[in-house]
Amino acid sequence: MFPVLYKTLPVNNLYEILTGKIVRLSTLLIVFIGVASCWPGEGSGVAGFRVALLTPGPISDQSWNASAFTGLMRIRDSLTAQTSHIQVKTPADFEENFRQYGASGYSLVIGHGFEFQDAAARVASSYPTTVFVTTGGETVRPNVAALSFAFDEPSFLAGMAAAAASKTGIIACVGGTELPPVKASFAAFVAGAQLMRPDVRVIVTYLGNWDDTGAGKEQALALIQRRVDVIFQNADAAGLGVFQAAREREGVLVIGSNTNQNTLAPASTIGSVVVDVPHAFLLVAKEVHAKTFTARVIRLGTRDNVVRWEPGPVFGQRVARAQQQRIDSVQTVMRSGSFTTPPSPSPR
Amino acid sequence: MAEMVLVGNFLEAAVRSATPLGFAALGALIAERAGVVNIGIEGSLVCGAFASFVVAGLLGPEVGFLAGGLAGMSLGLVFAVFVVALRAQQIIVGAAVSMLGLGLTASLHRIAVSSTGPGAPISTFLPLQVPVLSGIPVFGQAFISQPVTTYLLYALFPLVGWGLYRTVGGIALRAVGEQPSAAVSAGHSPARIQCAALLACGFLSGLGGATLVVAQTGIYSDGMSAGRGYIAMAIVALGRWTPRGVAAGALIFGGVSALQFLTQAVNWRVPYTIVLATPYLLTLVAMAALRGTRVAPAALGQTLNRP
Repeated sequence: MFPVLYKTLPVNNLYEILTGKIVRLSTLLIVFIGVASCWPGEGSGVAGFRVALLTPGPISDQSWNASAFTGLMRIRDSLTAQTSHIQVKTPADFEENFRQYGASGYSLVIGHGFEFQDAAARVASSYPTTVFVTTGGETVRPNVAALSFAFDEPSFLAGMAAAAASKTGIIACVGGTELPPVKASFAAFVAGAQLMRPDVRVIVTYLGNWDDTGAGKEQALALIQRRVDVIFQNADAAGLGVFQAAREREGVLVIGSNTNQNTLAPASTIGSVVVDVPHAFLLVAKEVHAKTFTARVIRLGTRDNVVRWEPGPVFGQRVARAQQQRIDSVQTVMRSGSFTTPPSPSPR
Repeated sequence: MAEMVLVGNFLEAAVRSATPLGFAALGALIAERAGVVNIGIEGSLVCGAFASFVVAGLLGPEVGFLAGGLAGMSLGLVFAVFVVALRAQQIIVGAAVSMLGLGLTASLHRIAVSSTGPGAPISTFLPLQVPVLSGIPVFGQAFISQPVTTYLLYALFPLVGWGLYRTVGGIALRAVGEQPSAAVSAGHSPARIQCAALLACGFLSGLGGATLVVAQTGIYSDGMSAGRGYIAMAIVALGRWTPRGVAAGALIFGGVSALQFLTQAVNWRVPYTIVLATPYLLTLVAMAALRGTRVAPAALGQTLNRP
């Protein structure tokens, strides 16, 4: 019976079918799965107030992007908003996803980074009922606002702490890419370090990306071999590699960025330069929700308790009492709102 | 003396950076010698990194390393099913597999992070000193003060060379890459050989990704493969499709990324972006210089006819 069945089956046709449609369908399917797994997840909530977030990197970075996602969740919980998040890579993606959310009638779309400004400015006029906010930058349109953090203030304090804690007198910065806010933060770090210790040497380095954790570690090791003993990292997921280098090398200290990273390598972290992104997001979202929003650059600093220097576990051991007091006194000036970063001689 | 330390440090970093590239490029070499362009390697790398992190956290770096290889291999299997069994276009499937790997790991990681928080760093393989050899100035520091995974890679290069050139299977594999019909008339099945090559390619790429985690950073972050899969393909071209050339190519690309870190650390006023671009320029120059001389497998990238 079987041989007969075998003969009667249109094997050739079957093969054609298999190699024709199924291939095309299956290829489509796997592309679809690939794309789908990058697609935004829709949160639940009352329809009406909808908020979307675009992050330039993974929200698992325990830094810049993680804090944004926490902020989105806080908006969801506080304002019972419907939320959506997507991770985007290229400027073309920025614009495309801004348009997607604008066209879907989202009330608030946040592009989490300085790099989203141009895309926001380009798409905003097409979706006048949507408010576009970029985290960082200065771009303002009728429905485009920018959150501008005085990240330089705690960076300045971090520089003071780093210079005080260093034994070799050589400290360093590791950044992702040369975005203006990152450069400004590093410049303030250098200025703070020089205020604390005029003979300090600060080496400023960039990885060229924000994802390559291996590169972050290698850059840290290269610096450590040049007798650097305090490293200020601002490289998101790649910066996690800097913590790993510090864990492995005795006596090397790290300063974290964006979120409180003091628990990542507790034995070797002096402190973190923290931006309370969730607080800032909620601030804007509340305005948009209450329809009191006006387009502007929303500047938030130490005074607003949105940025702060968060001393870590080894701060007390490595920074002498007198130096701690100097840091405190500068912080007091910052709280009063009258602090301006002294212009620093070019780093290096 | 100070210069020697500098050179030693630099070479040590170069070998470290070259190791994941070496694994992946060796995998790419095997696939391409069998006539298959697999740009899905990036997906295998990142899956290897993720799987090794998860498994190493539970069962230690040795098992984690192996799990990385297997994860890479399973993605290699997906690629093989589409390209060999269903004869779909290699580049399209490769791109899809890369996206699948990156998307899948990011999604799984996100689920894991939201349920249990970010994973703690795992314990990694530490540099393994070899008596006498590690003591050789510069050379010992650079090549023989590495984690055990790097020594495995050292052994794999001659092993793959032997396999490709001195065994029946290897000769058949190269025949499939050059002239599939000749392999068929010699009684070999190109489909079976390409499948085996792609599984090996996926496994080695997975090991490359695992190296990033279990022998270097101890942590996983999304997209940490950071384009190494594509660099692996450039290395194969630069290395003229030979194991020896691929070893040298991996070392060059590793050296260049180490140079990026070094130039910034010692404050040489060379923009790091230029340093980063060098190996690609080098690959272009190498390809241009090799124009006319046929070094790539003749049937590379071709979809084979039905057997």
